[in-house]
Amino acid sequence: MVNALLKEKHIKYLKSLDSQKETLEYWLSEHLRLNGIYWGLTALCILDSKETFQREEVIQFVMSCWNNRTGGFGPFPKHDAHMLSTLSGLQILLTYDAINLITEDSEKLDSVVQFIKGNQLPDGSFQGDRFGEVDARFSYNALSALSILGMLSPEVVDPAVEHILKCLNFDGGFGLCPGAESHASMAFTCLGALSIVNKLNLLTPEQIDTIAWWLCERQVPEGGLNGRPSKLPDVCYSFWVVSSLAIIDRLDWIDSDKLANFILESQDEIKGGIADRPGNEVDVFHTVFGLAGLSLIGYDNLVEIDPTYCMTYELTSKIHKYPY
Amino acid sequence: MQHGIKRKQWTKELLRHKREEDKKKIETYRALVEQMLQFRDNNNYSVEAMRLTTKVLDINPEFNTAWNYRRDIITNIGNLIDEKFWQDELKFTMIQLKRFPKVYWIWNHRVWILNNIPINQLKMWQGELIVVNALLEMDARNFHGWHYRRVVISNIEKLTKNSLNKQEFEYVTSKINKNISNYSAWHQRVQLITNMLSNDQIADKYDFMNKEIEYITNAIFTDAEDQSVWFYIIWMIKFPIVKELLGQDGYSKFLKELRENAEMINMDELEFSGKDNFWCLKIILEIDMIQNSFDNLTDRSVFKGYLEKLIKLDPLRQNRYKYLLSKLS
Repeated sequence: MVNALLKEKHIKYLKSLDSQKETLEYWLSEHLRLNGIYWGLTALCILDSKETFQREEVIQFVMSCWNNRTGGFGPFPKHDAHMLSTLSGLQILLTYDAINLITEDSEKLDSVVQFIKGNQLPDGSFQGDRFGEVDARFSYNALSALSILGMLSPEVVDPAVEHILKCLNFDGGFGLCPGAESHASMAFTCLGALSIVNKLNLLTPEQIDTIAWWLCERQVPEGGLNGRPSKLPDVCYSFWVVSSLAIIDRLDWIDSDKLANFILESQDEIKGGIADRPGNEVDVFHTVFGLAGLSLIGYDNLVEIDPTYCMTYELTSKIHKYPY
Repeated sequence: MQHGIKRKQWTKELLRHKREEDKKKIETYRALVEQMLQFRDNNNYSVEAMRLTTKVLDINPEFNTAWNYRRDIITNIGNLIDEKFWQDELKFTMIQLKRFPKVYWIWNHRVWILNNIPINQLKMWQGELIVVNALLEMDARNFHGWHYRRVVISNIEKLTKNSLNKQEFEYVTSKINKNISNYSAWHQRVQLITNMLSNDQIADKYDFMNKEIEYITNAIFTDAEDQSVWFYIIWMIKFPIVKELLGQDGYSKFLKELRENAEMINMDELEFSGKDNFWCLKIILEIDMIQNSFDNLTDRSVFKGYLEKLIKLDPLRQNRYKYLLSKLS
């Protein structure tokens, strides 16, 4: 039983991630590299150890993932640009106070903005890239990315919001598109997106109560949170559910102590890192979302994270908030 | 992202062995990727390039750039494509999906094929229904599977201009009958009923709703522990059209009987296990809140009593009950 947060071990684990080039897994996960760096870096920010990664090296890598033909970021040099990796690239730049590499270069700024706006479909939804997959995740990517760049506008926001509201289900959960089953990760993407563009007031008080009810029913007796009814708990929902509750100011509707225990028990006490649930293999994705969950519930003086952006408040306070 | 993989302790010896094995695999993989990206940068849309993407995707089905390139090849390869080619492409994604049923990129590629296939599209989509039936047979809650099912159905409906709501309603009913906690099926039931009502596809709506009430009553007497059916019931008691169809008297009767049944199940459980069933109590609360909103039948102290009970019974969510208590005063 692990009942303390193993901060030093997690830092060591996160530091080790870039020295894995001799493992097959490193090369098979190229398509998630930029996302992975954002997860690792944000985890380090929560642990107040941002300097663990080499700033210049990372910035250079991020810029080498930018695709001048399409205007978006790919997850790895020479990979195609995608909405997911574009947001990660911008988040990393913001974290390193280097977003000016885009915002002060009008040609680059214009092409990134065009890439994002170009993926919005007539119904307000967003596709991940030119091949047409639609998902509320990409709406979040788009609004968060444009917000970081200070480039939101009603032409993009209004139809996007209209579409996001259609993803709200009868049970208070959100689906990946209208009609899709409620999933806790979609509660974050939809509420987060509404919060970014300052449109949470479009939800009625009754709707907020129903949303919060569905979210708090995700907590299972062992303390962890699941993503859908009758599913197993998973550490990543410590962020998706808790951030959603925080955004609508209902964080106290779950038992934080029990959740903290579940996250702590999912740590690897030997090599550091956090897994999806106790006893399983750790990875950077569950490590950051476990830590972010702990930060949101105020555990152990971790650096405070902004539930809307999944970056520290110190960073998100620099974002110019919409409406401008 | 790893899900459900048991942690394993690596000894130095095991690690050394793995590194050696990995070394060769990394070399092969990286050489393939490099060659493929070079082909792509040269706008090479040939059969050879296609084979290269197959090799890369066989090793790494999550490499979305390879899927993108593959689609560009197919679009540009021109008259080399015949019916067998498309069939092979479907087979290729099927083999991949059997190995990796949760990889979004494979599902996307399959949808792309079906949207672009120049041959009998209806027949193709109908074939997909068999595929998705088999998938949901193996994993009845697969998120991708249910999403894909909605895509398949909507395409068949578009091509035939015929609604499949009734057939799908029977399908979700059979899924729920097999496993009452299949929330994906309950969710879909809500979508279908809403759609059937708004398209006037139910002949005797009053009769339909009464059958639905009978159905959920049987469900809660079968398994009152699982939250799936309760979420469905909350929808039923709050969905305006139910009240409209049943009429004020019928609706009041429905709520009254549901409340009595929830009380009865709770009493049984109390006798059997010594504990209240907190979903029964939650439903009673919902009913009382609704009753309160259109008349003042309910005694506030009863309502308060249930909330205080729930604070003790369901402490994880005690602050929600305290919030509801505070709204009372």
